[in-house]
Amino acid sequence: MYLLKRVAFVVGGIFLGINLLNYFVLGHTGDYLPGGERMGEWKSAKIREACYPALEFIERDGQLPKLSTDRHRVDWRDLTRTQEMTAALNCYLVTHPNAVCERNNRAYIVDSINRYFAKFDEMMEIAKRYGDAEISTVKNLWDSPRNRAINAALMRDTSSGRLIKADFGWTMPTAMKSMLDQYKGTADNCPKA
Amino acid sequence: MGEVLSLIRAPAIAFFGGFLVVGGWIWAPQISSYLPGFSSSASSVGSGGSWFADSNRLGRPETAPVVRTCIFRVIDFGPDARKIEPSAGYFMLKAGSMSASVVSMVGKPNARAENQSAFMAAKWGELAGCIYAQDDRELCDPDSRAAMVEATTKFFAFAKQAQASNPPISAGEARVLENIGDRLLNALKNHRRYGTLVASDFSTFAPSEIKNVMREETQTRDICKR
Repeated sequence: MYLLKRVAFVVGGIFLGINLLNYFVLGHTGDYLPGGERMGEWKSAKIREACYPALEFIERDGQLPKLSTDRHRVDWRDLTRTQEMTAALNCYLVTHPNAVCERNNRAYIVDSINRYFAKFDEMMEIAKRYGDAEISTVKNLWDSPRNRAINAALMRDTSSGRLIKADFGWTMPTAMKSMLDQYKGTADNCPKA
Repeated sequence: MGEVLSLIRAPAIAFFGGFLVVGGWIWAPQISSYLPGFSSSASSVGSGGSWFADSNRLGRPETAPVVRTCIFRVIDFGPDARKIEPSAGYFMLKAGSMSASVVSMVGKPNARAENQSAFMAAKWGELAGCIYAQDDRELCDPDSRAAMVEATTKFFAFAKQAQASNPPISAGEARVLENIGDRLLNALKNHRRYGTLVASDFSTFAPSEIKNVMREETQTRDICKR
């Protein structure tokens, strides 16, 4: 019994450590999304590879987020990440509107939505240190035609039951909460295979 | 009770150790953003910001308005400069510094490595000189102050590295670095008096030239006070 307890502690510690590393260091947040019938394996999502071309020449896409002023405190790494995330999510939700209906794709897309809103929140937190002008700069940055198209696609997907609250589990972004609550219980209108 | 303690002691120590390693890995980058001394690089010359500086005093140097004004005077990106964000330019300068430090630490002593130290010293010196040439009150901004601290510290650190090099740098290069150093020390003294900079803005490992100015000069006013 004594040995068993000790083994249990060590195994528990290793299990917890591995999961912490996986989530925070490797960034595999998709592994912790809810499972079930609707959600598949994010790593097997075909939409991921299908959208690689959308990320190839980001600088040529004039509809992606752009800074509206030279007087800002946005780090170029945040700017680049914003453009990449917007281009990717735009491809997942707008270019391929039915991709979200497939289980593996849905898991990957839900994870991407979480990251997208997390990045926005992070940049807004930084902007708050610099006052209203900077907040407005960051808001404008995230209000490009592509961002607006993403918002419209999210509204469409939640209103049609393609994305529901249970898909996000505990990771639900605050920005999505009201949208998902509003259309709670809506039946999924995905084309049947 | 003793039995229970002995039962959980080893796993608890193992878990705590693991937690420190994992936690350190995860949170260190976030902590470093509040501690500019860590934020720049793990190079031998560091960024120079104090670990204990008030986070309201030192911000993010790469997004400082003075960097926006000065970085492209220091690094020539040619006709593409307008397409490059100033914070990316600053990042490139820092990346160059890291590479120079690594070469100097692990590479064999050679003229190329030492030239690189002298080159980086000159670049950081130019940047610091440009920052000091801005309106004094510009440097009340925490990001600009952090840029000033980093540029000054890196100049003196690289200059020392270049001067101690083997083979030695040329007399001409040494004179150039000395002139830049003199100008920066004068500016540093002024800012110490104006209250734009205080001793705690610099790390304990800051070059002795900076520490001497911070110790010997006293603040006569606070131009940042409104």
